[in-house]
Amino acid sequence: MGRYIINRLVRWIPSVFILLLLVYALVFFGAGDPIKLIFLQAPGDVAYDPARVDAIREAAGLNRPFLLQFWDYILNVAQGNFGNSLVSGRSVNAMISAAVPVTLKIGLTAIVLVSLLGILLGVIAALNQNKWLDNLIVGFALVIWGIPVFVAGPLITVFLVLVLDFDVPYGWGGLFSPKVIVPLLVIGLNPMALIIRQARAGVLEVLSEDYVRTARAKGIPNYQVVMRHIMRPVLTPVVSQIGLLVIATLNNSILIEKVFGLPGLGRMTETAIKSSDYPVILAIVLIFSVVVMASNLLVDISYPLLDPRAAAKKTEDE
Amino acid sequence: MMKGFRKYLMIGLAATALSTAGLPAWADQVLNIAHPVLEQSWSPLQGGGHVARWQSLWWAAPMYFDKDGKLTPYVLASATHDEGFKTWTLTIDPKAVFSDGSKITAQDIVGTWNLCARPATKHARVNLFLGDVEGFNDVVVGKAKDMAGLVVKDDQTVTVTLATADPIFDQKIATALIPPVKISQAVDESGAQKADWWRPENGVVVSGPFMPESMDLDQGIVTLVPNPHFFGPKPKLEKVVITTVSDPITATLMLQRGDMDAATELITPTVIQDLGADFLGGPALAKGQQFWFDASKPPMDDINVRKALTMSVNPQELALAAFPDGPFTVADQILNKVPGVDPDYPKYTYDPEAAKAALAASKYKGSDRLPKIMFVGISTPTHEAAAQYIAEQWRKVLGIQGTEMKPAIETYAGPDQKSVQVFRDDVGTRVPDAVSYLMGSIHSGSGNALNKMGGYKNPEVDKLLDEASVKGVDDPDRIGNAQKAQRLFREDWMYIPYYYDVMSKWAMPWVQSFDKNDDWQVIEPWNVSIDEEKRP
Repeated sequence: MGRYIINRLVRWIPSVFILLLLVYALVFFGAGDPIKLIFLQAPGDVAYDPARVDAIREAAGLNRPFLLQFWDYILNVAQGNFGNSLVSGRSVNAMISAAVPVTLKIGLTAIVLVSLLGILLGVIAALNQNKWLDNLIVGFALVIWGIPVFVAGPLITVFLVLVLDFDVPYGWGGLFSPKVIVPLLVIGLNPMALIIRQARAGVLEVLSEDYVRTARAKGIPNYQVVMRHIMRPVLTPVVSQIGLLVIATLNNSILIEKVFGLPGLGRMTETAIKSSDYPVILAIVLIFSVVVMASNLLVDISYPLLDPRAAAKKTEDE
Repeated sequence: MMKGFRKYLMIGLAATALSTAGLPAWADQVLNIAHPVLEQSWSPLQGGGHVARWQSLWWAAPMYFDKDGKLTPYVLASATHDEGFKTWTLTIDPKAVFSDGSKITAQDIVGTWNLCARPATKHARVNLFLGDVEGFNDVVVGKAKDMAGLVVKDDQTVTVTLATADPIFDQKIATALIPPVKISQAVDESGAQKADWWRPENGVVVSGPFMPESMDLDQGIVTLVPNPHFFGPKPKLEKVVITTVSDPITATLMLQRGDMDAATELITPTVIQDLGADFLGGPALAKGQQFWFDASKPPMDDINVRKALTMSVNPQELALAAFPDGPFTVADQILNKVPGVDPDYPKYTYDPEAAKAALAASKYKGSDRLPKIMFVGISTPTHEAAAQYIAEQWRKVLGIQGTEMKPAIETYAGPDQKSVQVFRDDVGTRVPDAVSYLMGSIHSGSGNALNKMGGYKNPEVDKLLDEASVKGVDDPDRIGNAQKAQRLFREDWMYIPYYYDVMSKWAMPWVQSFDKNDDWQVIEPWNVSIDEEKRP
């Protein structure tokens, strides 16, 4: 197992290098010069003078060739230094270290809640196949899958505030603050549909298996059949969705943190992209890639625990 | 008996304390502002961006324009000039002090202005204020560190030598965007701006009516409290809290509920219905919005096409498309609000037949040979409505089908970025002067002519404005030349007039004395107060 993890990590490094190179090239050549944007994005009588913009770029070290700048960047990153924001001059490490915990706390909590609730609803739907409860749950999953979070967020807020006269759920007061309930709900709503459908399909598949029929024939109570014989094989495909869930949660955080004023990576991403602040963009890309890689690795490691056949195959691969 | 009384007294006090602690922040004279951008820098030397709009709260300007447009001393007690308007003597008010009680000195002013001009500071508007100072051009491109024209005469006096005569230099420096800072705090040994010197945890001293108490850049919350050493009137507010609320729907809800009292900027299609006309209203501003044509790009390189595109748009309907409920007014000429607005200016008129004839007379002959017309600056739903109206008029009147609109130039794909022909943007002035207004909008050296109109240059226009700019403010030729230049510019058909701006209050009715000037600054922040009875 140890060798497997090291293999995965070693394979991850070149892919992240290529990813960073691609993103660096995209923002460097495509998204626009952050110094120009400081002047071009401000309205009205801004003193845009090409000679001055050049002097500012020179002062910021942005006039050097692309590969030289990228190499310097990689060397700094290797030493744990993400550099300074090109727009504000603030240390990217300081910005990131404040934002990462917020996004992680919200994201992980959302994933846990979504997984538990999604599996529960999926199992209930499957056990009541084609009955009204199944239709209700499947319908609910379809609806939440169809509403993008950037629509659901403002809609739910408007409903809570204008119809139910709640306070505006805004800002960050820690994970146990009531303000976090609505953003958690919104971030998790869309990916929950995925889990519900996967769990339902998994249970339906297992329900027709011989060993389930045998267990029932032996008179084992239904809840024990579900917990002992159905859940374990169902968890394997559901767990495989966790990687997708992490990606969906990160994507949603970019759209939702702005609406609810959460000081996480999502809100920072939006600001950095708008100003083409590439040291910040690259740091966020790197962190997102670490999170996705780690979640995929965890999923791979958890397979053998859930399914002994996967353990045997992994040993053969190694 | 006594023991029992004490016990009940303690319980009562505790209950009172608990209930008071539970009260929201707005129970006192606290101004809550919703800010649309997560700011990572609150340096007062940026010269632009949303941060700069609250600069007058904590930084004292050299001078300022009051509500009636009168130039008023602030840090500077006076600004006098020689006969040729080339040498100015600035005298600092002896009462002007920073929040630690130390005097604002001539060294602070000279140091601050030099720092503003250096490239690494990235001040967005410094050349509007100090561009005529001798040596400025070398400093902004990094060839020199200090302007030769800025000299400390003594602790209280600065002598400014200009490269060209400027009769309104005193008006130009009446802005909170170049506020004198304690230079020893702001600059390092190399002459660059120190990182984060403006943060309260680094002991920043300020000169305005309020001073920063805390700055949580990660959460996006800045808290200001009254400056005990402020040399002006005592502020009425007990606290100002600026909170990042990026989402306009959330900001609207918070304003409606009284969680917020004001916004840095908030434009939504339903803002008047949601928050009332008073929220968006305000005094007229020396600023107007236009759709500018880049004459270096086809098909705008043909004056007949520009004529056709302009005459096929009804200016009244255009302004209404964007703001059906006001408060903005329909634009015609470039100049607005300043002395020198031309009362007999021949407006562009809606004339579909003339538009068709102009297009037929162009080298393109008709709409089928025109390249796709691309807009930028379509950054809000209101601008989108206006741009859609223009595109529809062009389709109806001229048969033009290919149009595209985006918020910013970098949102176009690479090759298209070089072909964008229509820029929606505003032009205006911070000083009540027609020449300054036009120098920043139609003179070939202006950013607007260079960047939005593709290097527009009409030598006659430049000559008239150059001549006017050195004439005294009372010389009738100053305004006369400006009006002539504007009429000449009109004949080049370089823009579609859109609307004249007002300085939106962006505050709820319970916020009192929240008047702002053309610099987007609250004119007299010490007078701002909250009418608690009106607050929900």
